[in-house]
Amino acid sequence: MTQHITKSDWFGPFVVSVAAIIVVGILKPSFLTPFNIQILLLAISVNALVAFAQMVIIGIGQMNLSVGAIGGLAAISFAGMMEVWGLPWPIAAMLALAVGLLAGVLNGALVALTGVSAFVITLATLSVFKGINLGITEAQPFYEIPEAVKWIGNASLFGTIPLLFFPFAITAIALWYFLFRLPLGRTILAVGGNSHAAELSGISVPKAEIVAHAISGVLAAMAGIMLVARLELGQPSIGDDWLILSFAAPVIGGALLTGGRISVAGTCCGVVIIAIITQVLVLFNIDPFLVQVVLGLLILWAVGVNRLREIRGQRHVPGGAA
Amino acid sequence: MADIEQNSAPVRNPVTAHPPVRQMTAVQRFFLSNEFGLIVLIVLFTIIFASISPMFLSNFSLYAMGRTAAVNIMIGFSMMVVIVTGGLNLGVGAIGVCGAMFGGWLMQAAGLHWLPACFGALIVGALLGATNGVMIVKSGLHSFIITLATMSVMFGAMIFLTQAESFREISPAFSTLGRMKILAVLSPMLLTAIVIGVLLWLAFKFTTVGREILAAGANARAAELSGIRVGRMITYAHALSGVLAVVAGLMLVSRTGAAIPSMAGQLGQDWLLPAFLGPVLGGNLLTGGRISVLGTFLGAFLVTMLTTGLLLMQVGAFWVQTYLGLLLLIAVLLDLARRSYLARNKLV
Repeated sequence: MTQHITKSDWFGPFVVSVAAIIVVGILKPSFLTPFNIQILLLAISVNALVAFAQMVIIGIGQMNLSVGAIGGLAAISFAGMMEVWGLPWPIAAMLALAVGLLAGVLNGALVALTGVSAFVITLATLSVFKGINLGITEAQPFYEIPEAVKWIGNASLFGTIPLLFFPFAITAIALWYFLFRLPLGRTILAVGGNSHAAELSGISVPKAEIVAHAISGVLAAMAGIMLVARLELGQPSIGDDWLILSFAAPVIGGALLTGGRISVAGTCCGVVIIAIITQVLVLFNIDPFLVQVVLGLLILWAVGVNRLREIRGQRHVPGGAA
Repeated sequence: MADIEQNSAPVRNPVTAHPPVRQMTAVQRFFLSNEFGLIVLIVLFTIIFASISPMFLSNFSLYAMGRTAAVNIMIGFSMMVVIVTGGLNLGVGAIGVCGAMFGGWLMQAAGLHWLPACFGALIVGALLGATNGVMIVKSGLHSFIITLATMSVMFGAMIFLTQAESFREISPAFSTLGRMKILAVLSPMLLTAIVIGVLLWLAFKFTTVGREILAAGANARAAELSGIRVGRMITYAHALSGVLAVVAGLMLVSRTGAAIPSMAGQLGQDWLLPAFLGPVLGGNLLTGGRISVLGTFLGAFLVTMLTTGLLLMQVGAFWVQTYLGLLLLIAVLLDLARRSYLARNKLV
């Protein structure tokens, strides 16, 4: 049993994040104050959804460059519908999620029907979605966010657990259950592991692709909506800087870019590690410009480690499925 | 190369499995090519835009278009030389900006003449590109994830070193180059792009290294077995990509008269779409092995023309990005249709 745990994908990142929390906590006691924990959890909650949106697509062995563009489009739809149309926020949120769903289905359908690599398709839709975003907003934010939404974005339980933590936690559990316990979710991972074998065993590859992209779109939209609540502003630039982050967290969490192997817990640990590092750079007065450098190095380190594990795994189990 | 061969491109039938291919003359072949299609489109859109707005064919408009096209063409070339190896280089923008900033620094802080400064910038581009190449080859990982990570590292390091400040004291001789007009319509930058295009065409057509890069891209294993050092070829391609990206960056510096860290957007991401539009419109296979310098050139030119035309028609600058995205989608779909038509009629 212990061996089972230490060998799992999320164990390494988990140890790293716990160690990082302890070390930073000792060096800077202010790191573990309730207020700081609240800030950390807020960042983690939103970033985790961004990472999940990419993780699902990595699971099917593809990539989605348009995660940020979908998130931004959903964010400005959410804010815009409340400001311009005066819709109550729950309805606006549902419609914004629908925008994300639609965008995701469009991605998935284009990839599935044309057989063109997801990279090119999502690069094209990235600029379509971003262009629509800019065309609607003309790069100006929507300022009039209802008080209720602002409250949700910044309120917290006991001064430590932000309300936005709950949508994240529920999504993480639901996503894990879907991907690893429900047939449809396993289908996605099967296609990612070996799409040819999956097809031969009767799985509809196009359906799996469309479902995966649809989920990715909804998750990205959720992240966008949550950011609007947190920033109290419908910023058109929401999502512009998600690209690196969305790949970094799943990869740190042990995901293989060849597909079929992802870990929800690992991705969460990846998000935690990134959040801690970003905070540490601030706490120790290190140049915040270095965040990009560190993120890039983290990706390189993580893919290197994953690659080694992959090679070692193949050596131990000849013919090797893990 | 690890293969993220995810359902990329349609299956190309091996030549041997084909019934005898219908014989075609070179002229017929040209009419079926991507390049011909692009020329038709360019002519068509020139007529459309010129009839809507007489401004479109004014000397100034043509000059400005050529200048913008030159940058887009270089960005397209930079991606193209990596695409032919079957890889990608997300760091085109990041490398381009890093090199250009280094050039700006050499001119302003080190006070160098612009010629050695540009040379220094190109070397930085080659080194950064080669670093990508070496890491891809040594790790065996797909170029996508490596260049994604390094673009973050390179751009972050550049912002850290420059503190996001621009270099504005560019040598006047260099910025004159960006504003110079030959025969009232031609920019020296477009000339540079044409010369570099011809050199690239010659290099990939006639030199051993060029042909070996193509062979490595077409089928890495077969190339390896026939004695080509595939790893080295991939590194060369990435180094070349870095150099070409820096040329694009330097062109922008010369045009604006300053080296600005944000000239390619956050992490250089703004160059990503033009980088792919040119080669994809030009009919370069994303799976590698086939190059069309002329196609990339015309593709990038078409994109610039459409952008200029759309702006002249006052569709709103904010929507242009949407149209370019749609253009990429349409290009990909048309290419699929064209290829399946050719395959069905056994024309290739």
